[in-house]
Amino acid sequence: MKVSAVRQALLLIALALVPAIGEAIYFRDKVSWQSPDRSSEMVNLDQAQSWGANAIWVDARPDNEFERDHIPGAIPLNEDRWNELLPTLLAQWSLEKKIVVYCSSQSCNASREVARRLRDEAGLKEVFVLQGGWETWLKSKR
Amino acid sequence: MNTNFSRLIGVFALAALVQSARAELKWEQTSVDLRPAFNDKQAVAHFKYENVGNTPIHFKSVHASCGCTTAQTQNEQVAPGQKGEITATFNIGGRTGTQVKTVTVQTDDPEPSTIVLTLKAVITPLLEFQPTLVYWQNGEEPKPKIITAKANKDAAVKKLDIASSTPDFTAKVDAGSAPNEFRISVQPRDTTKAVYATLTIKPDSPANTGNMFAAAARVMPPVPTSGTAITPSTKAAVSTVRHDLATPAPTAGSPRQ
Repeated sequence: MKVSAVRQALLLIALALVPAIGEAIYFRDKVSWQSPDRSSEMVNLDQAQSWGANAIWVDARPDNEFERDHIPGAIPLNEDRWNELLPTLLAQWSLEKKIVVYCSSQSCNASREVARRLRDEAGLKEVFVLQGGWETWLKSKR
Repeated sequence: MNTNFSRLIGVFALAALVQSARAELKWEQTSVDLRPAFNDKQAVAHFKYENVGNTPIHFKSVHASCGCTTAQTQNEQVAPGQKGEITATFNIGGRTGTQVKTVTVQTDDPEPSTIVLTLKAVITPLLEFQPTLVYWQNGEEPKPKIITAKANKDAAVKKLDIASSTPDFTAKVDAGSAPNEFRISVQPRDTTKAVYATLTIKPDSPANTGNMFAAAARVMPPVPTSGTAITPSTKAAVSTVRHDLATPAPTAGSPRQ
């Protein structure tokens, strides 16, 4: 009885594997196997807040979301108006400051993209992405 | 035997009935690659479909992956045999490089009820700078630093005009090491006081419709150390930077805005 149950379970697993493998092969170009996250660039809220005045908060969300509410003192910098907004940040940055970029939530990509451009195009160091983004900030204030 | 045969017939009949009442949305393509021109403000993808089934299909929701993309359906209901399209409009803004945006479509079509449409746009701006910021530490030797500007080869940029927002920096442009490349040499007059300047760059190109670009130059304020008394020169440096922040230099518009 027990052997039969194990055999049936193995059979079911084998049957389930066939379409799973087929799908993995068929959609191999459509699935992101490599996470865009660079763990070294992520920072959690407690750590970022511990930097105090040495942190520059950058809001990568669209203008209307920034206008509705934002982390106090945050500078807006989104890709919709990149060239217009960037100079304000560059004027406030200095070598000892750490930049913390956030967007709406954990799943949004805007903060990673803004952080990447600040590193690659402006040559800034110490640029971090806030884990959980604006949602995490809001939760911490409740 | 007769009972089994009747059952088999019944199963086939049911399958045929289900098959005959099917709804199926067939997409011409679910992924579109776009290469917008450097002056384009938007990239638009058309995802065409046809209901090849024989029952109507309803769109439950059409949702774009980011606020920079909007998606519209022509109809909320698609009759059997009817064709249509979903239009996805991606606002380029100041974005560069490869951009992948998705539109998730939910229908009452049972198989599959959710379709993900992908818009991929490769954006090559009129001008790219590396880096967009050059800076000097306070008291550092005021040697020139280089910003490399790479022009889009389709734009036929002949020269760049550059202007600094303050007279504290000089900037000149030379031809770069490769075609369509320029070397912008930026030099501060003095590195003992903190200053910030926006460098406004205007490409001379028949394709350019008045777009201007910006880079930045800075002399950093002295790094404050604990226990250091604020000297008159430090105070002056800090006040200069504060003044710049209070009245930010005019910035160049986005290349596509």
